[in-house]
Amino acid sequence: MRTTTTALFAGTALLAAGMSMATPAHAEWPEKPIRVIVPFGPGGTSDQVTRTFQIAIQENDILPQPINVLNVGGHYSVGARQVMEAEPDGYTFLTLHIALMGGEAGGMLDFGYRDFEPVATTGQFCLTPVVRKDSGFDTVDDLLAAAAAEPDSLLFGANLGAINHMAGIMLQNSEPDAEFRFVQIGGGTANFTALTGAQINASVLSAAEVINFTKLPDGSDNPEAQIKPLAYTGPERNPKLPDLPTMNELGRDVEFCVDSWWFAPKGTPAEAIEGFAAALEAAAQTEAVQTFYEERTFNPIFLAGDALAASLDETWERIEPVAKQAGQQ
Amino acid sequence: MEGVLTGLVGGLAIVFTPMGFFYVALGTILGISVGAIPGLSGAMLIALTLPLTYYMPATDAIVLLIGMYVGSITGGLITATLLRMPGTPSNVMTTFDGYPMARAGKPGRALGLGIAASFAGGIISWWFLLLLAKPLSIWATRFGPFEYFTLILMAMVLIASVSQGSLIKGLIAGLLGMLVSMPGVDPSSGMPRLTFDTYHMNSGLKLLPVLIGVFAVSQIIADVLDIGRKIERVESTKSSIMIKAGDWVRHGGNMLRSGLIGTLVGILPGVGASIGSVIAYTTAKNVSKTPEQFGKGSEEGIVASETANNATVGGALIPLIAMGIPGSVIDAILIGALMIHSIQPGPTLFITNPDIVYAMIAACLIGNLVMLAVMTGSVNWVAKLAYIPRTFMLPVIIVCCVIGAFGLDNVMFDVWVMLIFGVIGFLLERARYPLGPFVIGFVLAPLMESKLRTGLMMTGGSITPIFTRPVAATFLAIAIILLVWPLVSEWRRRKAEAGTSAAG
Repeated sequence: MRTTTTALFAGTALLAAGMSMATPAHAEWPEKPIRVIVPFGPGGTSDQVTRTFQIAIQENDILPQPINVLNVGGHYSVGARQVMEAEPDGYTFLTLHIALMGGEAGGMLDFGYRDFEPVATTGQFCLTPVVRKDSGFDTVDDLLAAAAAEPDSLLFGANLGAINHMAGIMLQNSEPDAEFRFVQIGGGTANFTALTGAQINASVLSAAEVINFTKLPDGSDNPEAQIKPLAYTGPERNPKLPDLPTMNELGRDVEFCVDSWWFAPKGTPAEAIEGFAAALEAAAQTEAVQTFYEERTFNPIFLAGDALAASLDETWERIEPVAKQAGQQ
Repeated sequence: MEGVLTGLVGGLAIVFTPMGFFYVALGTILGISVGAIPGLSGAMLIALTLPLTYYMPATDAIVLLIGMYVGSITGGLITATLLRMPGTPSNVMTTFDGYPMARAGKPGRALGLGIAASFAGGIISWWFLLLLAKPLSIWATRFGPFEYFTLILMAMVLIASVSQGSLIKGLIAGLLGMLVSMPGVDPSSGMPRLTFDTYHMNSGLKLLPVLIGVFAVSQIIADVLDIGRKIERVESTKSSIMIKAGDWVRHGGNMLRSGLIGTLVGILPGVGASIGSVIAYTTAKNVSKTPEQFGKGSEEGIVASETANNATVGGALIPLIAMGIPGSVIDAILIGALMIHSIQPGPTLFITNPDIVYAMIAACLIGNLVMLAVMTGSVNWVAKLAYIPRTFMLPVIIVCCVIGAFGLDNVMFDVWVMLIFGVIGFLLERARYPLGPFVIGFVLAPLMESKLRTGLMMTGGSITPIFTRPVAATFLAIAIILLVWPLVSEWRRRKAEAGTSAAG
């Protein structure tokens, strides 16, 4: 159902795009270049997702106007607020992820996803709890049993208030009395470093990071790796980590994936939102994006319209209490 | 060993294709040019170039960016020496001796020493990159928060020895710098603090706008106020800029020591070139026979600072290549560049993409050679910049400063920060508060704070590991010695004087 409606969108938008090229006098969205703000510096995952779509849309002539990607560095709230306050003319968009909800629920931001028009979700990546190979923990149960037996003793590396912190809290909440001691380490590579150096006991990494740090190119285990994954927080097993059980299989209600969201300022005309969503959906089918998803082990989901709105609300309900808990740390 | 050799030959073969060499040379020259323009920085050049490289083959893209990295650190030397405006934070120490020397009529000599030292630093760290990448980066993962904390504490203590004039004013300037670094998102809780409810302050006062303001804009204000003054031309720069064999011998020990310090500091993730040059500079001062010359145009000071900051480039590439861990801000951007080309930097990079690894290593070598050739060839001409009437120079520089402050993150707020800190820097100078300690305090305080708080989170509030962990305890001991030594030697000197006068 969802696919058919969005496919319909895509069709009409492509048609509209073709028509506007044929008759430029008859103004249709888009009639000038589109600006997408990435509220992070260049090189990060958000930047890579955005630019992969930019290239795919441009190289396949999906839209008649160019897309300009602008990195607004510093704290992500600065770029996000710029888009929120931008003129809702249909030519300014934002790419962001669950940090937006974490920031709102944790009390860091005085605005949130409801202050934007949602445009689309393009792909998601999921996480894996990791420990050292010599830790003696072979399963999530082992890890959480130890965290329950001696609360506040296992060091869990995280970027406090951010994605990996929220994931760690969801993990500990799945076992009564389990309690990690969360330590400010940083993002994925920083936690990998700290685990390799035996400075912390556990953390979460993205599936792509785990594959990169623990697998050889042919898919076998890298004997030199000091860390091992215990489970996967996606809805289904990851095809590149087939032996890794999902948290749901283990009877724990922990599903935590990071969606790539596209937003527009509140009040943006529906024509622009639907048109851009259709362009993104068409781009998601291109080889460039499919290869990107494959390499970064993203789930190739696509959501727009009502399905997206429902997914955002559902994510908020799950994340809000966790983010509140993270904010109180 | 044999594998290293074949790999290197393969890497050189990639870099020595016409396009490969073109990109390394282009990157290095662009890096030098951007580094030599006050206000523009290597990080900004690389950030702006990155989107363009998405359309290039992976090896070309990465050798271009590495060339820029090598070039920009060296280019900053030119303005640090001639205009007292460091191109990057790591050139701050070079201004202390390079500028007085240029002012004393020897800009060519100052630049020549800086270039030779930069090349030496680049090559020393390159050897480590080639031969010891893996064991060294594994060693670096053992560095916990308490080791970092004491290392940075040690560098902080060095503020006292780099401040000129009144020690008290130096310490006050250092503390002011630390204070200014505090606003923004709390590094250990993710919550905003001291932001005065302006959302722009969530990013804090960023390094680049503050640095450009304090050094470049303040200098512009000072220059505008005495615009009539002419700069005396003393040196004839006809003689060769290449330093002589005797200089290599005389400064060889200093280069080797500073190169080692720079490499080792560069390997540590998150601790950048500025700490490397501070430590090398003060070490050179402490072992020098003429420490009183430091800050007044000491050759050793220029050599130590420039060797160390260039050595951190190769040092910082070591954990990136061997482990996928960025050693500096620029390295983090390089990782993004690799990933966009579907190359995942990490422990298996040597297995998955040996061609890329050795192309990077080869690009690092060729970049240093190109840098030496370009800088030596153009320095006579570049040194004349010092004699261009300031009426022409200053408007161009202020435009570049505004572009530089805006261009990094595309936020106008940063331009205002830069201008305000220009005024603050100018006032501090007028009141004879040294700017060096201010900037060092500003750069190091956030790192020191976050490492200490991470450590305290790990131990549940206990500080004991800084005494019990051997590396941490060693750094702490060195810090204490550095703090106490000047006092002790002063006391002994006075006692000796008292003894002589009593005897006489």
